[in-house]
Amino acid sequence: MLNYIWLALVVIGIGVAVWSDVHDLSTNKYHNGEYLQASIQNSPSADSLSSRLESYPITLVIVPADFNSMYGTNIADMIRFTAEIFPTKRRSDEPDTYLPEFGGILHIIVNDRTPSIWKEIYKLQKNQDFLLARYIELLRDPRNHRIKLTLDPVKFVKLNAVTNDGIIKYAKTAVELAIALIGIMALWLGIMKIGEQSGLVSKLGSLLKPITTRLFPDVPADHPAMGAMIMNISANMLGLMNAATPLGLKAMEELNKLNKKGGTATDAMCTFLVINTSNVQLIPATVIAIRAAAGSASPTEILGPVIVATIITLIVGVTTAKLMAMLPMYKRQLTGLE
Amino acid sequence: MQTVVSIIDIISIIAIPSLVLFIVVYGAVKKVKIYEAFVEGAKEGFNVGVRIIPYLVAMLVAIGIFRAGGAMEILASILSPLTKLIGMPAEALPMAIIRPLSGSGALGVMSEIIKSHGPDSLIGRMVSVMMGSSETTFYVLAVYFGSVGITKTRQAVPAGIVADVVAILMSVWLTNIIFG
Repeated sequence: MLNYIWLALVVIGIGVAVWSDVHDLSTNKYHNGEYLQASIQNSPSADSLSSRLESYPITLVIVPADFNSMYGTNIADMIRFTAEIFPTKRRSDEPDTYLPEFGGILHIIVNDRTPSIWKEIYKLQKNQDFLLARYIELLRDPRNHRIKLTLDPVKFVKLNAVTNDGIIKYAKTAVELAIALIGIMALWLGIMKIGEQSGLVSKLGSLLKPITTRLFPDVPADHPAMGAMIMNISANMLGLMNAATPLGLKAMEELNKLNKKGGTATDAMCTFLVINTSNVQLIPATVIAIRAAAGSASPTEILGPVIVATIITLIVGVTTAKLMAMLPMYKRQLTGLE
Repeated sequence: MQTVVSIIDIISIIAIPSLVLFIVVYGAVKKVKIYEAFVEGAKEGFNVGVRIIPYLVAMLVAIGIFRAGGAMEILASILSPLTKLIGMPAEALPMAIIRPLSGSGALGVMSEIIKSHGPDSLIGRMVSVMMGSSETTFYVLAVYFGSVGITKTRQAVPAGIVADVVAILMSVWLTNIIFG
């Protein structure tokens, strides 16, 4: 089953990315290579342009009608940007005719008032703190300095995201998560060992015997797995995620000792997994904290529905797992007649 | 309600220290060599952490590809006719889709919805209930099964998915009848 889910996630994920990039390219969503007219205020004088300075701060003004007709937006006011202009250097020995059109590079500063399409392109360009554009001079009168500009093209947005935000970032995250687990894992495994040797874990297991033996008929009531599972479920109930995962993994280890067929999940493991995935939580502390921070009049009012939903989910989940365990296709995997 | 919040705070603060204290003292009373036992158990911690890495990489990268490529939005638009049928506001659908896949993603979506719609709006309450009543199924599957090297997961995946669907349906239904 996991094989199919994995395949589906990867194939659909990349497939959708390709499709949406091709769609963006064919409709030229970001208007790559199209020019927009703009005028420059407080432009550097012609003298200073030919001097040795590399860049100048300017104010860029775009008529809303031009912007709207290009991007299909609905902006009413004049659009102003603070920008830095980097004119292309011309060596003094080159004649003016060397470059048919004089131009250069613009770094446009993005702020709250930047139109959203440009903000989006800014994010996609991944330049640190500016929107990169190229410009060509149209009219170089100091009082009426006009240029046309085109933003640095953005292409294959989704495929880039798949590579950087999907594959590379998540591979790293996975290892970070696992490493972060080591310390807390060591702590709880140590504590559990004390509990085991003192007989506390098996005592805990037999305490809830009537329930646990029904849930996990294949596991002896005084087996350490029972105690670990009960501790995991208790930690989950209290919303102690830090303790719940290590205790759950400890329980899995114990359950695996009863497993005659390595690499294949036993019925008890599946039932235990479903209990964990249905989040038996009496106190959803994180949710309450976020609601309280957002200024809710009653952050805990969701407790009732959460508990009811969890209990029903748990019952349905465990019942499903138990019923499915009887299916021949799953039974066969365990008995090894596959 | 303020008292409930503070009681919850107190429980989550004292739970772990008191549990550690109890087990250690109980062990000492039962004449267990607690320090040695602790170290012996803790030794395994590193191995477990390292053992789950390949499973976690496999699972998270697949989910990462799915999210980054924009498949989530496509899935949301495919499923959107269903939302009306079960009484779910369309804005809550991304939450329902992401909840079993990514814990941090779900937290982000929930915070975003609560910020834009308000924590006491119907949809704000609905995503809160969804967050509280279900779990990051695929992360749990990868970590738990990975820690003991299990790849043939049998009924755990379908049963887990059934549980997720039930959790979402119950969240929508209960929110609508209680707060609607």
